[in-house]
Amino acid sequence: MTGHSSFISSEDLRGLTGDLLAAGTEVIAPVATDICQSPSAVAASACRIDKGPAIEIDYTPLTDAAELDLSRGLPQLSLKGYFLPEHEVLCSWKQKGTTIEVQEVPTRFAPRVVIGAKPCDSAGLAVVDKVMNWDYEDELWNGRREATTIINLACPVIDDSCFCTAVGAAPDDVKGADGLLTPVDGGYVFEPASDKGRAFADAHKARLRADVPADTLGRQADDERAAARARVQANLEIDADSVRDWIATHFEDPLLAMLAMKCNGCGACTGVCPTCHCFDIIDEVEGVGSGCRRRCWDTCQAPTFTLHASGHNPRQNQHVRYRQRINHKFSIYPLKFGEVLCTGCGRCTRVCHAGQDLVEILQEIDIAARRPGVAEPAEAAS
Amino acid sequence: MSEATMTQAPEYVGVADLRRIARELLEAGDVRVVIGWENGRRGARPVFVTDPAAADRLIFDTRCVHNLVTYLNPRRDHVQELGRIGLVVKGCDVKAVAGLLREKQIDPGDVVLIGVRCGGVLEENELPAPLALTEANVAPRCYGCDIREPEHVDHIVGESQPEPPRPIMTIDDRVAQLDALPLEERWAFWTEQFSKCVRCYACRQVCPLCICERCIVEKTQPQWIEPSSHPRGNFSWNVTRALHLAGRCVDCGECERFCPVGIPLSLVNRKLQHIVRDRYDYVVSEDPEKPAPIGDYRLDDQQEFIK
Amino acid sequence: MSDFEPRITAFVCNWCTYTGADLAGTSRLHMASNVRLIRLPCTGRIDPLFIIKAFERGADGVIVSGCHPADCHYTSGNYHARRRFAVFHDFMEFMGIDPRRMTFSWVSASEGAKWKDVVNETVANVRALGPFDAYRALAPEAVETWPADPGTAAAVPAASGGGEAR
Repeated sequence: MTGHSSFISSEDLRGLTGDLLAAGTEVIAPVATDICQSPSAVAASACRIDKGPAIEIDYTPLTDAAELDLSRGLPQLSLKGYFLPEHEVLCSWKQKGTTIEVQEVPTRFAPRVVIGAKPCDSAGLAVVDKVMNWDYEDELWNGRREATTIINLACPVIDDSCFCTAVGAAPDDVKGADGLLTPVDGGYVFEPASDKGRAFADAHKARLRADVPADTLGRQADDERAAARARVQANLEIDADSVRDWIATHFEDPLLAMLAMKCNGCGACTGVCPTCHCFDIIDEVEGVGSGCRRRCWDTCQAPTFTLHASGHNPRQNQHVRYRQRINHKFSIYPLKFGEVLCTGCGRCTRVCHAGQDLVEILQEIDIAARRPGVAEPAEAAS
Repeated sequence: MSEATMTQAPEYVGVADLRRIARELLEAGDVRVVIGWENGRRGARPVFVTDPAAADRLIFDTRCVHNLVTYLNPRRDHVQELGRIGLVVKGCDVKAVAGLLREKQIDPGDVVLIGVRCGGVLEENELPAPLALTEANVAPRCYGCDIREPEHVDHIVGESQPEPPRPIMTIDDRVAQLDALPLEERWAFWTEQFSKCVRCYACRQVCPLCICERCIVEKTQPQWIEPSSHPRGNFSWNVTRALHLAGRCVDCGECERFCPVGIPLSLVNRKLQHIVRDRYDYVVSEDPEKPAPIGDYRLDDQQEFIK
Repeated sequence: MSDFEPRITAFVCNWCTYTGADLAGTSRLHMASNVRLIRLPCTGRIDPLFIIKAFERGADGVIVSGCHPADCHYTSGNYHARRRFAVFHDFMEFMGIDPRRMTFSWVSASEGAKWKDVVNETVANVRALGPFDAYRALAPEAVETWPADPGTAAAVPAASGGGEAR
């Protein structure tokens, strides 16, 4: 952890948020809503009268500092949507006869701040940075990354589907982020982790108390983070490198097909994942002589994801598509970019209602990878 | 959840028979795989049993919400490749099988159906142990079930179950609430709900009756349904899918359960069921011989809305 | 709202309504000129998606019209259409779309006068309801009004919002 740590009280953290909003800076933060209170919940099936509040947390642009949720629950969707929106216009065009006007989109954005990001979500951004700057530099992604200062809030570990430490992340990581808040008595220890983070600390130094007594608050912060790491380590421990190599050398292994039997190919896992980034580009004609070119989220789990114009589909079946997902995340991307395309947030497992369980799947592959000799596929391991 | 919703469900009498039948079918080679439910790390989930010795993994309890008929979709090559399928079905699931038979998507010989007598399932099923059903935790779609005794099945297990409790708000209650709203409020409600849609197509993927080889949403020459997830594209998608299911939807509720953003699709589907019931006296049937309303017609069909 | 001219798209069958509309024209019957006809072989061909697309592209109202029951050139096309559009009509009302924006009719080849009435009534109804911009506006970055009428201000093409996640 580079940089000088300081203490900020909970009140000052809200005050800092208020300062940013007052200065006109966009602040994105987890916001908790009781969806039963939504006006449309009257007939919505998401809520039942007697069940009590149904709290949902989402990363949302704040309108007021009071909205900031510091409960450290997991937002439904990752931060990905703020850097690669679900759908965005790449350019729009107007045509009249032979005159065509193309309107490009801005690639520079107003500075904004994320407060209270989950470390797994920020880490996801750093992982995707690699592919976004590979053979083509994605100006829209990079522009949004440059414009954003991200302050993580150390995570207590959500449940037994979290496994960030198994894939190179951690509940107190700052990968992809600019600073870390760790809860202690009365507030948070704040540690900047980048130039942007230091500039942020400097800009708000009135709210920060420079002195963090090492034997009380300092140790509290360290203990909190060590305990969280221990909790998530207990969920899953794998040798990511041997998993990577096993997948690379066992492409046709029946184990990989068996692990995918339940999958419906819905792509919910893709939508909630902090590191999935595939997109489709489509032209939308609005009327006569005008339209826009949009990119929108896509999923390799969709049946037509690899459908060729010839009609041939190299990934015709769900188990082949699911194998691709595992292969890409845990073998191809690490081999190419040195990073696992997964930060262990566990959302895919929680959102899959067909029972696909990534913790179990990685465990199975890890066992197979460590087994000497020929690996036998586990019986109906799905 | 309140205290009242936390009672453990009694052991389902019939699990031993279920496991025995599955084992016997696999040993005899009558089927190559039995698709049922098992205990997973996060609750009950589907299981594909190919080894007779693993038949003991099969369970049935109030957490077994999943409509496994979706795995019969002929486009699921990796399931078809396994061979003849033994499928564990609740009564409501049989209606989906009937739909597939009716539309000639599967032959009766393709599948052996093991029916379980069911008294309803939980709305929240991702639990470590099954709970007894109460008005607060029962899945709303179970209310009024007319097929707790599955029909048109090859084997049947379990004891006759009591009627599921009436939930605090039934799906019909909620549809009635929407019907009672003025037009503009319904428009506001549905556009808000559809604005949440992220076009993951989970609803389509999990639906046992969404079986088209190429879904219309994927047609690009011309593009009929806008693929972007703005409310206009989403409106077109959700309305089109609903209309394509009119008279075919079996009300299994999987689309709504799978929807990652909580769109109340059960209200859409129930309304369409009301429409075909009120106009054409049609209730979705577990009998494959009964024709579906759309694709059929009578000379004296209602036409009061036509000038 | 008094200068609002509704745009109506009409999906009509070739054998009855299209011919009936032609008869209305050759008989020099006066009727509103807001309707663009799209000719199809039969109402049985009409997919509800056509209507949805019409609204997406800027139609304020839609007419679907074909042969009377028992007169279908293809025997039963209109029977299928009748069921399909009954369901569509009821369902769209449930979605919150005013049913007066969608007119369904049986107009035979000899009913030029009836076509005139259908057109005039529909235009009057839709004029009273106002433009259906709410539908097109469901896409936040809609580019331009359709088609560019002289005197109608074209919407400024929108650049994608910075940082808009949804």
